[in-house]
Amino acid sequence: MNRVQKARLFTIFRYAMLLIWSVIVAFPIFWIVSTSFKPDWEWHAWPPVYWSKEASWVNYRAVWGRTQSPRATSGEKVATETARYESHSANKPWQALWNSLYIAITATALSVAFGAILAYGVSRYRILSEIRMFQLLVLRMIPPIVVAAPLTLYYSAIHLMDTALGLIIVYFITTLPYSVWMTKSFVDEVPVEIEQAAEILGATKWQAIREVIFPLIRSGIVATFLFILILTWSEYLLSLMLSKVDVVTLPVQLAKYEGSDEGRVYGHQAALAVGITLPLMVIGIFIRKHLVRGFTFGMVKR
Amino acid sequence: MARIELKGLRKVFGRNIEAVKNLDFTIEEGEFVVIVGPSGCGKTTTLRMIAGFEEPTAGEIEIDGRLVNDIDPGDRGVGMVFQTHALFPHKTVAENIEFGPRMKKVPEETRKQQVREVADMVRITHLLHKLPVECSGGEAQRAALARTLITDPTAFLLDEPLSSLDAKLRREMRAEIDRLHEELKKTFVYVTHDQEEAMTLADRIVVMRDGVIEQVGTPLEIYNDPVSYFVADFFGSPSMNLIAGKVEGSNGAAAFSGAGIEFKLPDAYAGVSAGDYTLGVRPEHVVVGSQEAAFSCDVQLVEPLGKDTLLYFEHGAERPTIAVIEASGRFKAGERLNVTFDSERVYLFEPDGKRVR
Repeated sequence: MNRVQKARLFTIFRYAMLLIWSVIVAFPIFWIVSTSFKPDWEWHAWPPVYWSKEASWVNYRAVWGRTQSPRATSGEKVATETARYESHSANKPWQALWNSLYIAITATALSVAFGAILAYGVSRYRILSEIRMFQLLVLRMIPPIVVAAPLTLYYSAIHLMDTALGLIIVYFITTLPYSVWMTKSFVDEVPVEIEQAAEILGATKWQAIREVIFPLIRSGIVATFLFILILTWSEYLLSLMLSKVDVVTLPVQLAKYEGSDEGRVYGHQAALAVGITLPLMVIGIFIRKHLVRGFTFGMVKR
Repeated sequence: MARIELKGLRKVFGRNIEAVKNLDFTIEEGEFVVIVGPSGCGKTTTLRMIAGFEEPTAGEIEIDGRLVNDIDPGDRGVGMVFQTHALFPHKTVAENIEFGPRMKKVPEETRKQQVREVADMVRITHLLHKLPVECSGGEAQRAALARTLITDPTAFLLDEPLSSLDAKLRREMRAEIDRLHEELKKTFVYVTHDQEEAMTLADRIVVMRDGVIEQVGTPLEIYNDPVSYFVADFFGSPSMNLIAGKVEGSNGAAAFSGAGIEFKLPDAYAGVSAGDYTLGVRPEHVVVGSQEAAFSCDVQLVEPLGKDTLLYFEHGAERPTIAVIEASGRFKAGERLNVTFDSERVYLFEPDGKRVR
């Protein structure tokens, strides 16, 4: 076998592996989307139904339609469908969506903003030693369950239980190490001479940051923002423990479609899950230019 | 124009890394001073202290009689060109140049006018709309010069500005910098590790070593009258032949011997006490094919350089002795030749590196 053949064989092998991997990754997503369009008798069907011949929006109407627009539940069949699962979907997905958006975006914004300030300090003035930075990262390796139980006690005591503020605080603190680490790597990429050049040309520290540093790390900050948004958006355990009644986030809402007399309400769960995923995808598409630049930062010729 | 005075300047990094030890030096108005030395000698630290990026551990820096120790870099009235040009990568060349005046709130009309003027001065008008990544190394360094020029600093600080350029471009930019100095008649402080740059550009050279000044002088003084082994070895290309050996005196005349060499020292060294010394001879003062012989040796290598030819002699010294002669086909490798030195132009260094005078 000569070199060209070997290279070709390797390419085929590589793409085969990638194909297998993408199927493994993409299949659950396909399954959720597919299930969200299935009528209830196909949820547990065996052999499994990959794409329902009777696909409809009925699950979406049941989950998202209730509180928002009563007209969506018009029609005989839909009305009965809706009635059957009344008990499970009594909590409001729209309220949960709003809670999730509000909590995740606020916590992420705080985390990224403080993270960027800290990262700048670490990168330029070494306000944290290497050891401290490492400890910061190790902090993230503590299983959330370890802090969840004590936190419930503290939160009850200081009346943060079941409040949006309580969740924002805990998400802000737990994601801060990530945002410091990620943003630091972007600040590190900006040569200190560039900043000094700005200073000796007469810029104040603040002007140098606004004019030079920020534009250069903006893509990195956007990438960090999305990464942390995904973390907080999909966080389940702490949300479950620290909020139950008044402030329900989407992942917790998702779990509410389980159990009771009918077993799992897969169709509704899937419809809600699609609703959870969509905003992230929309944001991702919206900022993809920054993501590509953010994740390839440092590979540009300087 | 600015006169820069450094008084007892000292910089310690961390707990005990002494980059600069007690520096006293004055840079006169309009002078082109080159600070030169091997890496780690403290030359860049000194420059960065003048710029204001490093705070001196001790000592004072005065610019035109004004103590600037506590003044921010932007308010010292100096301009700096960095080794990496440090252009803002997200701004066009024009925006880069405009940055200084914009920070100082110069009206836009004036600014545009100034940008055109300085761009013209360093011949980069055709690059104004480009981003730094689209410029070549030399063009980027010109843009960096223009960005500094526009702020009309009283002194220019240049930190190895040419070290990232290739040889041809380096010569070109060197001439450019020289021309700017002629034109502007401002104070230039230029840091480099390249002795050739120092020799060609400087009015005065400051040779630094291990955080202290080894010698200050004009390029010719430094070349012809080095105070130490270190300076003698550092300047000149090919560098000075330095041969370790002994000096023994007899009847008031001293002779050097070592590495197969027997050389009668000139009368100036008659009073030197016997002991270990290093003999120094510039390659152009090595005389080849003479009657007298300090040593006789086979030519190991003939290196034609065009105008000149280098001859290498391996006679047991640490480095082969090199002679520069005018180009000719006279000598061949392997040929045995008599070699001696121009008596008036030999140097003698003590074991601690000091020159014997």
